[in-house]
Amino acid sequence: MADVQTPSETETDEQPEPQADPADARQPAWWRVSKRVLGYSLLLFFAFIFIFPFMLAIITSFKTQPEATQAPLDLIPSPATMRAWAEEIFGSGQVNFPRWTFNSFFITFIVTVGRILLDSMAGYALARLKFPGRQIVFAVIVSTLAIPAIVLAIPRFIVLGTLGMLNSYSGMAVPLAVDAFGIFLMKQFFESIPREMEEAAKVDGATVFQTFWRVVLPLAAPGLIALTILSFQGAWNEFLHYLIAAPADQSLRTLTVGLALLRGSQGQGLDFPVLMGASILTTVPVAIIFFVFQRYFIQGVAATGVKG
Amino acid sequence: MNELRRRIGQSEALSGWAFTAPVLIGLAVFLLFPIFMALYISFTDWNGISPPFQAELIGLQNYKDLLVNPGISRLDFAISVRNNLYYVLGVVPLQTSISFVLAVIVNQKFLRGKSFFRSAYYFPSITSSVAISLIFLFLFTQNGAVNKFLSVFIPGDLDVNWLFNANGVIHNALGVIGIETAPGFLATHGFLGQSWWEWLAGPSVALLSIMILATWTTIGTLMLIFLAGLQNIPVELEEASQIDGASRLQHFFRVTLPLMKPTLFFVLTVGIIGSWQVFDQVFVISKGAPQKTTITLAYLVYREGFTNFSMGRATAVAFILFVIIVIFTLVQRRFVNPDEV
Amino acid sequence: MNLPAPNQWTRRLIILLVLGVLAAACGGGSGFEESGGGDQAEGGGGATGGSDGGDAGVSLQLMGFSSSPAEDQELSKIIDGYNEQSSNTAEFNPVPDYATTLQASLAGGEPPDVFYVNDNQIPDLATANTLAPAEGNIDNPDDFYPNLKEAFTFEGTWYCPPKDFSTLALQYNTQLLSDAGVEPPTNWDELRAAAQKLTKGDVVGLVLGPEYFRWGVFNEQAGGGLTNDDLTEMTAAAPPNVEAFDYLEQMYQQGTAAEPSDLQAGWAGEAFGQGKAAMTIEGNWMVAAMRDGYPDLKWETAELPEGPAGKGTFSFSVCYAVPQGAKNPDASWDLVNYLVSSEQMLAFTKQFPVMPSRPSLRDQWLEANPDLKAFLDSAEYARSPAWVPGFQAVLDQLNSGIQGIAAGNKQPQQVLEETQQTGQSVLGG
Repeated sequence: MADVQTPSETETDEQPEPQADPADARQPAWWRVSKRVLGYSLLLFFAFIFIFPFMLAIITSFKTQPEATQAPLDLIPSPATMRAWAEEIFGSGQVNFPRWTFNSFFITFIVTVGRILLDSMAGYALARLKFPGRQIVFAVIVSTLAIPAIVLAIPRFIVLGTLGMLNSYSGMAVPLAVDAFGIFLMKQFFESIPREMEEAAKVDGATVFQTFWRVVLPLAAPGLIALTILSFQGAWNEFLHYLIAAPADQSLRTLTVGLALLRGSQGQGLDFPVLMGASILTTVPVAIIFFVFQRYFIQGVAATGVKG
Repeated sequence: MNELRRRIGQSEALSGWAFTAPVLIGLAVFLLFPIFMALYISFTDWNGISPPFQAELIGLQNYKDLLVNPGISRLDFAISVRNNLYYVLGVVPLQTSISFVLAVIVNQKFLRGKSFFRSAYYFPSITSSVAISLIFLFLFTQNGAVNKFLSVFIPGDLDVNWLFNANGVIHNALGVIGIETAPGFLATHGFLGQSWWEWLAGPSVALLSIMILATWTTIGTLMLIFLAGLQNIPVELEEASQIDGASRLQHFFRVTLPLMKPTLFFVLTVGIIGSWQVFDQVFVISKGAPQKTTITLAYLVYREGFTNFSMGRATAVAFILFVIIVIFTLVQRRFVNPDEV
Repeated sequence: MNLPAPNQWTRRLIILLVLGVLAAACGGGSGFEESGGGDQAEGGGGATGGSDGGDAGVSLQLMGFSSSPAEDQELSKIIDGYNEQSSNTAEFNPVPDYATTLQASLAGGEPPDVFYVNDNQIPDLATANTLAPAEGNIDNPDDFYPNLKEAFTFEGTWYCPPKDFSTLALQYNTQLLSDAGVEPPTNWDELRAAAQKLTKGDVVGLVLGPEYFRWGVFNEQAGGGLTNDDLTEMTAAAPPNVEAFDYLEQMYQQGTAAEPSDLQAGWAGEAFGQGKAAMTIEGNWMVAAMRDGYPDLKWETAELPEGPAGKGTFSFSVCYAVPQGAKNPDASWDLVNYLVSSEQMLAFTKQFPVMPSRPSLRDQWLEANPDLKAFLDSAEYARSPAWVPGFQAVLDQLNSGIQGIAAGNKQPQQVLEETQQTGQSVLGG
């Protein structure tokens, strides 16, 4: 039942003129028009709802604190001020934005690469190789998905401490690189790939690893992209694990931890221009990547639409 | 020698274990061991600070405190279950249906600018939950953007104090038709130390705001998954039903919907697990306030374990949550029945 | 597949990534662990409480939470001073979500060398045997306010010296009060009358956060309190507490008192600063908050109004704790001693007018902050709110109830009885 789809085949984006739909042709013109108007307005309404908060956040970061709370919907800050950016975000000495960004990228990179390798190998083994204990291994991997992550925080910390991995990049990245969901995803994906080419390679005398490396992996590109994207998103946005794995070393802070620090302690008033600016700041790198790789990004997520 | 190496290389049993070994070691160290340790902790009175294996084993005491023995632990657990249940019952259908409708519209042939819409909808999904929650905190303040925006459509100035309003929406609705206090039976009887009237309060306005936030962030991802499913429906089927002369609507219900069952199942499963485990938003926005109406089970785990120093009870909550999730997933599977297409 | 040349593309990408990981692993292994506290050199000097922790030079970390960026900077300056005169190097590390981080560090056996502890967390942390006793490690141990020292003592052991402290007092907007012809209230009746008179238009008389660490001062003034002095019996539902909460409930009902969120403010100080409320009850942190956020506001502070049983307020404090089994205990205590030395404490508290925890500094501090006398006078009768391990659950319950009273959907009597029940099970257990 497992099957994975790549959605782009039937898309009409790049076609200059959408084809006339025979079913449409049978309908009266007013019905067609009003249907489209309705469809477009619904889509635009939701697009507005999804994009506007981000625009508002950007605008707010240039407002003064009183204006941000008293006129939250004004689209043009008056007076516009760089206070949030110049004094608080970049100028307070508390914020080491370049370092946080580097850390976020570096750890995200390791986690993503680690997941691609580990999850694809394990996923392939579970999908194709008949080895004793396979069913049990798979059952265990899937059932770990239902455990809420928060409960593992302290036990994980103790493990990291025992292994001497606290306050290091390895302690922040390695636990995230082992990930049950990715294995599940890749297993489902490999099961949807036809077997013929593997059989041929086997007849030619290739080892399992050679088959996997030369034949299967190249076919698995869409699945790998999906995995890359989900890993990137997950590792980039992770907060609690980074905080707990590296509490003692300020030079190991990531953007999410830094953002939480900026929010400050309870009891202080919330400085919305600063918080909005910082939120946008943590979003910008991932947004750039998103727009550059948009095509793959969306295909990838769609490819997670695993059946059954 | 080479022959031997080739044999080994071709052995599926050996390769299978070799391929899974790195991940299994990693999982054992960073996932399974912590899980078993947490399970062990749930039978102890560990405070979460002193060395964990010195804590005293107390058997099922933590589970009893949550489920049987009257007291604050059971009441807080009941409140969290109530909040979380309304959260799941609200968020899962809402995010599933909106994202499905959007996917169907985006999938229409006449539509232009598909990639714009897809990107726009997906954008919130790539933002960190800390950042998103902070932005929502700003939007939902009493004289914030949401109230100002809604005031445009509603006569008078709307000044709902979204994030601080503890009134249950069902109670509010009953208040409108004149039922202000509990009918006798509902007030005097209850379950897990909470009266039925309280169980029926509905999500508080504050929790509702968090539900809106969660729905808003996940719609994009779910829409893309539905879109993939829709585009995977063989074109021949569509043509066949057009020749039959089936109307668009008939086609949708007879052909499209049944074929979407597996995708629907996937989306619902992911949605149910994620909604039962909601934590980040509560943590950043409300910390369980006002009046405990935004405490969810995952947040209760955090509060018991990290601010109230009862890690034993916290882990017990987590494993009860685990059971709840499994039950919900199975029931949902029965209901959707993805194998029967 | 609709991707460009998948064969070549994927394989090259993967090889590239593998190389990347290898490079990263090497880099991560060696280059980046500068400040992990790896230097295991033992403190040289055997004498505890000595002026110098050792010649070997140990790197120390002080972990705490951030009250404000300005305060962090000031503390870092003092620590720079320490680093200049000592062979050790210390660093201040403010972390977000402090409770979680500290707990993980303690549970994992990797505690920071010195860390902040809130007075109300002492019972839990002491019971868990995580704190090293302070007795014998601190210079001039008798020069601390006894009630503060008491707050950091559990079952007879004194654990850590108070960093500084704050008390709750009444702040009022001088402009609004003189416009309304109101004198700063000195007892409950005057407070109620003043709040009534000051409530008009967009201004509310009193803004008060709905939590026990604000409301509780009225219990103290009524002669009540959540427990008896030995912490063996709950007294939450006793008449003085009900009287106090009824008094507050009335003010909220009449609209002469309000929650910060009712005034679109994140906390009481914000509403007060914006002139939406004429009075509030907060602590020393108001000084820095008003100076930074609302420099033009004219305000003064007075002792809290007296209740039926006289004066009463809370004091809050944080201490510098050294963990049980610290890596370099001598060096840790050396840093603590430096931070609570009269000279440094005075330098710090003058700037951020929290109050020095050493009575010997009282006069010098008052000289620098004459208008904050009310905070200091309140210390005479202030109580440190701290109870027994596990009591936080009771406070959660009570705070939830207080939010209900303020919102008008719970009755004081009912809330206090629930608290009584909950608390009894914690105390009795």
